[in-house]
Amino acid sequence: MLDRYELAPDCPGTPSALSQARSARPKKHPARGLRWGAIGLLILTTLLADALALAPRAATQEPLTLGILPRRNATLTTELFSPLVKYLSTALGREIQLVTSKDFDSFQQDVKDSRFDIVHYNQFHYVRSSAEYRVIAHNEEFDRSTVAGALYVKQDSGITRVEQLRGKRIIFGGGEDAMMSYILPRYLLLQAGLKPGDYQEAFAKSPPNSLIALYYDEAQASGAGDILIDLKVVKENVDTDQLRHLAITEQLLHLPWAVLRTMTDDEAMRIQALLTGLGASPEGQAILKQAQMTGIGVANDDSYAPHRRIIDQVMPPSQDRH
Amino acid sequence: MRLATKFIFIVSGILSLTLALNAYYFIHSQSQLLEQQLNERGRVLGHLIALISPEAMLSFDFLTLNEYAREVSRQHDVVYGVIVNDKGTPLTSYFNQQDPRVLDALQALGLDGETAPLTPPKTARVIARLSSSLYDLLPMEFPISHGERPLGQLKVGISREQLNAQIRSQLLIQSSIYGLIILFLCSAIFWVFRYNVMGPVNRLMDASRNVGLGELEEVAVTSRDELGSLAETFNSMINAIREEKDKLHYQANYDALTSLPNRMMAIDRLDHELRLARRHNELVAVIFIDLDNFKVVNDTMGHAAGDELLAMLSSRLLSRLRDVDTLARLGGDEFLVLLPRVQTLDEVKQIATRLLEATSERLMVHGREVIVHCSIGIALYPDDGTSAEELMANADNAMYQAKAPSHLPICFFTQEMNVRVRERLQLEQDLHLAVERGELELYFQPIVQAGQCQPVGAEVLLRWQHPQNGMISPATFIPLAEATGLIIPIGDWVLQQACSLLRHWLDLGLSPGALAINISRLQLQDRLVTVIRDLVTEYRIPANMLELEMTENILLDDHAQVSESLNQLQAMGLKLSLDDFGTGYSSLSYLRRFSFDALKIDRSFIQGLPQDQDGCALIGAIVVMAHRLGLRVVAEGVETAEQRDFLRQQGCDFLQGYLLARPMTASAYQKTLPCFSPATE
Repeated sequence: MLDRYELAPDCPGTPSALSQARSARPKKHPARGLRWGAIGLLILTTLLADALALAPRAATQEPLTLGILPRRNATLTTELFSPLVKYLSTALGREIQLVTSKDFDSFQQDVKDSRFDIVHYNQFHYVRSSAEYRVIAHNEEFDRSTVAGALYVKQDSGITRVEQLRGKRIIFGGGEDAMMSYILPRYLLLQAGLKPGDYQEAFAKSPPNSLIALYYDEAQASGAGDILIDLKVVKENVDTDQLRHLAITEQLLHLPWAVLRTMTDDEAMRIQALLTGLGASPEGQAILKQAQMTGIGVANDDSYAPHRRIIDQVMPPSQDRH
Repeated sequence: MRLATKFIFIVSGILSLTLALNAYYFIHSQSQLLEQQLNERGRVLGHLIALISPEAMLSFDFLTLNEYAREVSRQHDVVYGVIVNDKGTPLTSYFNQQDPRVLDALQALGLDGETAPLTPPKTARVIARLSSSLYDLLPMEFPISHGERPLGQLKVGISREQLNAQIRSQLLIQSSIYGLIILFLCSAIFWVFRYNVMGPVNRLMDASRNVGLGELEEVAVTSRDELGSLAETFNSMINAIREEKDKLHYQANYDALTSLPNRMMAIDRLDHELRLARRHNELVAVIFIDLDNFKVVNDTMGHAAGDELLAMLSSRLLSRLRDVDTLARLGGDEFLVLLPRVQTLDEVKQIATRLLEATSERLMVHGREVIVHCSIGIALYPDDGTSAEELMANADNAMYQAKAPSHLPICFFTQEMNVRVRERLQLEQDLHLAVERGELELYFQPIVQAGQCQPVGAEVLLRWQHPQNGMISPATFIPLAEATGLIIPIGDWVLQQACSLLRHWLDLGLSPGALAINISRLQLQDRLVTVIRDLVTEYRIPANMLELEMTENILLDDHAQVSESLNQLQAMGLKLSLDDFGTGYSSLSYLRRFSFDALKIDRSFIQGLPQDQDGCALIGAIVVMAHRLGLRVVAEGVETAEQRDFLRQQGCDFLQGYLLARPMTASAYQKTLPCFSPATE
């Protein structure tokens, strides 16, 4: 069994390449003198002329940025996705730049700022950024296209219903934007009539840690993906026989792949075809295996409607911290 | 146990103890240092983990905590590393299951870490098990806190096994090195000891053993240390022994005065010469030389002069001999000359004559001219004997023969001499038995008053009636008795007999007068006073009835002792007379030194009277001198009336001789004795 969740190393003080690129871009200054305006107009005219003359060449040479959510550390992410990046670059005839973020906050900020041409992130991120991005594909892991959220308790806890979690301490994996480990478990709690405040929230460093914390009695319940209990990383650290599911959500499509809505349809389709066609060739399968996936399927915005519905219930846009 | 072995045991013991102590100190220090290092390493590791753990603990990052536990447990010597919360509940479950101690603990607790991770209680039990079962486990705890808030602890168990193994290995290496050092040092010391100590000691022992066997060998001095000094001292001792031995050999074989070979060496050489002569059919002459009247030189000039005379004489004799000849001093004034490889009797005679001449030459001793004569006796191999003893005895006999009056001073041994010697020996043996057999008898020759011819006493004379040889002259047996020492018992017997007879005659009412008894020089000892006192007491006789006659030669001996004895005898009442006055040294100093009552003029002065004018003058002078000294004068050997008259005329007080009365037996003398009257007593 392959790890789907790896520890993302803390990289404080190490700005992402995209941030650096962003800081290097020129800024507008609306209030300028006439003279400066004339000079600017002249320069703009010159640049536009130059751009028009060199447009075909620029279209083939400007690299595309690929952002990957930092559920794993940057090194591992680069290691896992480098073959895919190379494959896409070769196939597209354009350079693909893989951008890794130091943490979820900076990643989300980059998403929000549309800094990625292609992005691979969680369902919550997509729902929240669907105005700028359109989904073209989804992950298949462990030969499954879907995944569900779950609440876990210890076997000997005596808790058999979600309602019994009232007043209890529940530990979630990752942060508040974790789809499987926070939003979906909260959705289960909400369905059981438990609102925030009816229980104590705690956050573990990662979803596996939330289960381990439950094992070590740091909380009475844990919120995480339904398949988390079967992950090797969890089984290696705790006796999972002492843990059980308390409740599981419906199955939802796996992590999405999206492109900027500004990208041409042809290009988007071409990228979608390249991604979904990986499973057809041994080379593509090797690339998928390297990226710890079993396949990539076609997806569109409708595919993530259930996600949107749940997210909106759990975290209405007014509560969105982003 | 041998000295070297003992030494090696002691050295190895000291080395072992020293090195063992050193090893103990080193290993102990090393152990402390290593444990300190281990402790420090554990502390550094623990503090590091404790420093980075709070964030993971606060964010419930158990995977990271477990990674920390894994990293800690992977450290060298770390058996386990477990992070527990503030309640002590383990938050990590990782154990290094490659560690056999962990496996043992898991098995002991019935746990299998491979099928499922350990629950916190099981983890705690594993820790407790490891902590309690491993004696060499160093448990350490490091608190984990966030600010003031305690979060938990990092519990680390560090094994001392590696440390102990390292120490054991160190101990093994150290012991091996020390063992080799001890072996090397002991071997080196043993060989050094053997060659530098035992070698010289053994050589000294062998040399000492050889000294015991009479072999005086020096040992080699191979060093300048104490053993070298010992060897030098030993060699000095050997040299001293050698010198002493040589000295003893010299003293045993040579005469200290003349440096001539002594009797022992002379006999050795004679034996040697006799062996050679026997092999080559040669003649060997043995010459016995005895100086005549050498005692006179000693007595008159002192022993130093006598010694000087002997030394000079020996040099002179030596100068008259061949190189092959041997001159030895046998003792006193006796010399022996060995003449090997002589051809004829004449050659011997010539050499003897040369020796006689050499002896007779004048010598200057202490500024005085001295002429010494000698008597030479010669015996020849093989005619006069075949052994050294026989030849020397025969030469001695010949020498005695040469000493005899009217005999030449050089005398070759003849078999007749042996006959005479045998006779003399027989006489000696008979004399031993004479007293027991009653063969001795006292004779009495009256002494009369010169003016009235009235007997006043008698001189006691001794006669020996030999059963085979008849009457033997005193001139024959008295010297023999003196030579053999028999004169002492015989003298005692005479005194006892005289006293007994005096008592007897006194008891008969007779008046025997004083009895003059001759005393030999050998008799005049301290015991004589005691003997006479006892006899006088026993027989209750007046001491003044005894008169002791002695010749001048008695007085030559120890003056003090003789004077003391004579004084005591006089104090008892005995009278003393000087016999044979005029024949000897006639030293007037004797008359002055010893208080005699009378002196007896020897018969040789009386015989020529009154025709001999010198004799007459001499008698007159002696009488006048004696009277002046308050001495009575007795004239012996008065045989004619002319002599009697002359002596009366000269003033002699008493007379004795055949004219007046011959020596007679006691019974005859008894008949001449008048009856006792108070006037005569």
